[in-house]
Amino acid sequence: MSQTAVIHEQMAVPQPKQHGKPGGFLAHTNIFTGLIGGVVAAGVTYFIGDKLVPWGTQNADFSQVGLNALVFCTFVAWVIGFMAGIGAFAGPIRWALGHDLTHDDAEYMAGKGQGRMKYWKYTTDHKVVGIQYLVMALVLFGFGGFFAMLIRTELGATWREVFDPNFYNSLIGTHGIVMIIAMIIVVAGPLGNFIMPLMIGARDMAFPRLNALSFWLLFAAVPPLVLNLVMGGIRDGWTVYQPLGTQAPIGMIGYQVCIITFAFSTGIAGVNLITTIVTMRARGMTWARTPIFIIGTLAAAIMGLVWFPMFQYAQLLAASDKVIGTSFYIPQSGGSVWLYENLFWLLGHPEVYVIVVPATAGILELMVVFLRKPLFSYKMAVAGFAGVVGISAVVWVHHMYMTGFAPQAGYPFMLSTELISIPFGFLVLVMLGTLWRGKAWNRLPMMAVYAVIFDKIIGGITGVYLSDVPVDQYMHGSMFVVAHFHYMLMGAGLFAAMGVIVYWFPKMTGRMFDERIGKIGFWTAFLAFQVTFLSMFVAGLQGMPRRVLQFDNAFDISNWISTIGAYCIGIGMLIFLYAVITSWRNGKVAPSNPWGAKTLEWQTETPVPLENFPVLPVVTSDPYGYGIPDPYLKVEEELDQDDNETVGAR
Amino acid sequence: MSIETPVDQPESPTNRPESTHRMKEWFSRDYVRKIIAIFIVLTIIIIPIAWLVIHFLELSGGPASSIMEELETTIFVFTLVSAPLMAITAAVLIYSLFGWGSIKSEDPPMQENPAIRTNAVAVIGWTAATSLLAAFLVIWGLVELATITADSYGSTPSSQQPNATKQIDVNVTGQQWVWSFEYPDQQKIQSDVLVVPINTPIYFNVTSKDVVHSFWVVEMGVKIDANPGAVTNTGFTANKLGTFNIRCAELCGLHHAYMETNVQVVTQDQFDSWVREQGGKRTA
Repeated sequence: MSQTAVIHEQMAVPQPKQHGKPGGFLAHTNIFTGLIGGVVAAGVTYFIGDKLVPWGTQNADFSQVGLNALVFCTFVAWVIGFMAGIGAFAGPIRWALGHDLTHDDAEYMAGKGQGRMKYWKYTTDHKVVGIQYLVMALVLFGFGGFFAMLIRTELGATWREVFDPNFYNSLIGTHGIVMIIAMIIVVAGPLGNFIMPLMIGARDMAFPRLNALSFWLLFAAVPPLVLNLVMGGIRDGWTVYQPLGTQAPIGMIGYQVCIITFAFSTGIAGVNLITTIVTMRARGMTWARTPIFIIGTLAAAIMGLVWFPMFQYAQLLAASDKVIGTSFYIPQSGGSVWLYENLFWLLGHPEVYVIVVPATAGILELMVVFLRKPLFSYKMAVAGFAGVVGISAVVWVHHMYMTGFAPQAGYPFMLSTELISIPFGFLVLVMLGTLWRGKAWNRLPMMAVYAVIFDKIIGGITGVYLSDVPVDQYMHGSMFVVAHFHYMLMGAGLFAAMGVIVYWFPKMTGRMFDERIGKIGFWTAFLAFQVTFLSMFVAGLQGMPRRVLQFDNAFDISNWISTIGAYCIGIGMLIFLYAVITSWRNGKVAPSNPWGAKTLEWQTETPVPLENFPVLPVVTSDPYGYGIPDPYLKVEEELDQDDNETVGAR
Repeated sequence: MSIETPVDQPESPTNRPESTHRMKEWFSRDYVRKIIAIFIVLTIIIIPIAWLVIHFLELSGGPASSIMEELETTIFVFTLVSAPLMAITAAVLIYSLFGWGSIKSEDPPMQENPAIRTNAVAVIGWTAATSLLAAFLVIWGLVELATITADSYGSTPSSQQPNATKQIDVNVTGQQWVWSFEYPDQQKIQSDVLVVPINTPIYFNVTSKDVVHSFWVVEMGVKIDANPGAVTNTGFTANKLGTFNIRCAELCGLHHAYMETNVQVVTQDQFDSWVREQGGKRTA
């Protein structure tokens, strides 16, 4: 018998037949049919539940459970109805019926020939999804920022209660969770979807339809959350510790449905990002040649995928306590409040890194371009991200030092928490080494780099106090903690996000960013940020607890300063937002590579064509081939000879 | 794998200088000296912050227990230890802004900067320095935690503290939105103000009737959550007479902001008479 391998010629794959116009059912669906579908489904569910099922007529205790169940079903129906209305189920139903999508259908779904309407539809193109995420993040920041102004108004008016305490408690909870969601999506959403596939030289994400699904699930998750304000509110802070959450009015159901849906969204997005990064990098883009922003996005996606289910599970159990009367978290019936706290912080801490890591990676990426230098010690940056991902799994108990659930746990978790400062230190060295001896090109993104490093210094050092269990006996639950995490999330996260969005703005919108107005807004916000939160550190040190609306007169002065600062942040952010909107509408048309950068996304034209690259690129070196050989000192190159010859050849 | 040295290298590879010479050359560079100067100035500026932080901590009248004193020492030491790290980062930042200069132009600048891809000395030195720092913080923290645990739970060997001071147990109950205290060994006195004698170990059994509260005796540096369905413990030995704050540090609903009371540290005699007075009321 012959053992010779036979190489078959590629066989013609039978193509599905085109039924009617491209797009089929999806040609008729958009956000408005989605809204109609969602509202109708919610209305019908509420009506049927209220009229036909007799749970409203039970005794007092049971009727509350019944009402919760009714509201829960209504919100879930809203999500399903919205997804059905926008056409999310069209693809799976077609498979079930044996009609697969044709090439024309796929192109229609990617938004071909639809003009601006594609931004309002279930569009699979990663560039459209990126823009949708960006707008969504801006809207959420608008909500969250407005709530922040109201909170500061209450805290600044030390002589009276401006708001009803219940409304004030809802404000802090809603501000917290809206901002957390906005921060999670603001870098990984727009840039992870729009820029990342371009940067690795791919035509789209690995799973374009999942990409659309992840965005529209997020969109569907937001109305239940925002509606809570008219349904009694989330009166429990963004953490919603149980059993306080069980006492809450029905608005709490909105929070739970939002988190459950949002966790599906991040899980789907995480799978998509990881698969794309691992399998779809351009030919020749080995791991050592992958831009650092891609590594950071990968790290964040892994953490999100692994840890978000914990949060989802925590909320599923909480919803089940409210809806079907289980008692996972109700101590009187055998539950445990510590179960909730553990499940919550198992996500709660890695989530901070889900926010900070891609923002930091984006900052590293643009430092290289504006300093015209290679990244200092790429390997160390990768090690830093890897270390953060690894250790982030075992630090959550530092949020629970004072819960008393295991006093001995303080020892190992203090160790792990302080160890995580070492990989973060790596990233600081990479930043400093890249700054070293570089003459910076002074544009707004580079200014964000300086701002972020400054905030990281303060946020990092104050974090050292908080990692220590004895010090936490004083600091835990005080304004000091609030100031610290605003330094990390807003100072190092949001200002970094502003920098990277300005950097990639020309590629995403095809317009140059108006830096003159943008700089005014950025610096106003940055300086006011320092005033607000440095003063808040003082209030914390003096012993002001967080989440209060009235307090000892000793804290008056620092709260007045914080409130004035906060209003100035608001003004700065509005100016920045004005710059974003005006530049987007009628800014100068951007060339394809305005920064002279070497990563792949700048090598294709602007606006980016539907399939990104006319010919898929082949990578021969890492993208950091800037700079002249160092005249001072022998440089110990990480790259081998071959790579070095082709640096900058692209 | 290293590459042939660039042509304008001061020394040829065969005549490679000793590492000390290379360090001397490095330290003789203009920008290195300036950064070191900025670093020293910044360190001198930052160090007084340690006292400032302690000043803010003590504004409300503390420290009133050995725990709070140890805690202030920790904060003080941590600030001092972090000061050089803050200063070196800020020094490079400042020198990058003003020393190495910047380019203002619309188009990408043609001039490029030195291609420093990595530097073994910097990488190893930085890793070693930050690891040592982290190790110091961890060891300090662990020792501190053990000390404070001993102070809080009264587990110091009794040989050191003879029977002169007897431990007093207090049952603390949080409920929306008041604290209440019960003295099980003192005729089960109930009180909504905590009264403790000076220099006596106080041991708390903390629980809650409804939701999670957090029992924070501010100037004593003690905090523990009050959980429904569980008892948590903490304790302190007050060493300063006066009235101090107790606050709730965990959002517990509508009037969380008003859930505060006082701890009155009194002499043993005053405490005894207070117990008699309260106990008398109970029996009456």
